[in-house]
Amino acid sequence: MIALTVVLGVVVALVTVLVAGLLRSHADILKALHDLGAGVGDPVGDTTASSTPGPSAGPQSVPLTMGPALAADRDSTSAPTLAGVTPTGDALAVAPARGGALTLLAFLSTGCASCAGFWESFRRPEQLDLPVGTRLVVVTKGPEREIPGEVAALAAPGLSVLMSSDAWTDYEVPGSPFFVLVDGTSGRRVGEGVANQFRQVAELVRRAEVDAAAFTLGTRPGRDVGIDGPARESANDRELLDAGIRPGDPSLYPTSLDDLYGPPDARMPAAPHPMRRAG
Amino acid sequence: MPTLFAHGIEAGLPSGFEGRIFKRQGSGVEVANAVAQFSTFALPDDVGDFGGGAVTSMGNDDIFAVLFEYGPDSVGTRLFAHQGLPRTLNVDDFKPYVLRRGLTGQSGTQWFFTESGRPFTLYAVLGSHARRSILVPRINRLLAGLTVEPAAVGTPAGAPWN
Repeated sequence: MIALTVVLGVVVALVTVLVAGLLRSHADILKALHDLGAGVGDPVGDTTASSTPGPSAGPQSVPLTMGPALAADRDSTSAPTLAGVTPTGDALAVAPARGGALTLLAFLSTGCASCAGFWESFRRPEQLDLPVGTRLVVVTKGPEREIPGEVAALAAPGLSVLMSSDAWTDYEVPGSPFFVLVDGTSGRRVGEGVANQFRQVAELVRRAEVDAAAFTLGTRPGRDVGIDGPARESANDRELLDAGIRPGDPSLYPTSLDDLYGPPDARMPAAPHPMRRAG
Repeated sequence: MPTLFAHGIEAGLPSGFEGRIFKRQGSGVEVANAVAQFSTFALPDDVGDFGGGAVTSMGNDDIFAVLFEYGPDSVGTRLFAHQGLPRTLNVDDFKPYVLRRGLTGQSGTQWFFTESGRPFTLYAVLGSHARRSILVPRINRLLAGLTVEPAAVGTPAGAPWN
């Protein structure tokens, strides 16, 4: 009987020590949470008690985020410059907030099944039905997250593709596919969201264009300069071919100023500046 | 500040600038070299090396600039004798008649030089010559952020002129 009482006493003592240790540990955890601003109760009421200055004085706010930012927390108007590389290794930066035109940023990835339809749609730009002057830029994550060869295989020839994980962060893209429309006149985002088919996106872009036009006195005036760009280059090629100048013609590769301007006595004196300027 | 890097050229872009650094596909004996284009407006996808197809879209406050590399055979020639990329341009450097394509109101400037052993031309266009006192400092901020690495050893020789 005595032995049983002793054993029981020892067990009670051990349990007491164990419970005390657990309570102490729990108190430490609660205190730590309270110091981080996540304590139980009204932290405002406690600040008076711990209002002494110092690095450990008062509760400290610690932002806790899980998953993508909520709609109300997103910066849904800024349109920072996107910079990265192309699938072929060139460098590319796009400033959609400049230039006066609409820029549609299509955040896609190579792996998502719902992105496949958009990659395919971009192979038929004439059927996209975007307003004239709207620039389309596909943005994938950077080469550290996407394989450039796979992106290049999906991208249609002539399609602007920018690979930049920073761009996804800057625009707080929650996932792919995701579209952002930037108005270059106001310099801010005028729309963003997801879609299942590109015609839904095109319709939203058209609406945004109408809205923007209603508040804009005029758009960037274009210059009436006749043919331009590739058409102008082709016309120049035709002129050269008609004149008998073909690729590799020696006249296209002058080796001296004499080849360009004739003998020295037949041309104007050179500019005195060490750098030569030419038109 | 967004930074671009490709083909041995690094560019820190001032606010409002966009750009691209690329090489075109070579054809035949022609070897493509690096081209770096910068603008304050949306660059078309099919823009020519010196702004063909783009300068016609410029507004009065716009800037277009290109850093165009020539073949290594051009190194040491008189045209590229000046060493170093011009970092500070003056308003007087821009002339309405120094344009690849003369467009009313615009002006341009062009410089040939060798930077880090690589021959280049810098060609810049202002959307409005009348506003050059405002636009030239912006170009200078762009030039201040350009860095050119020496050419890689074993770079194939191309045509000295493109």
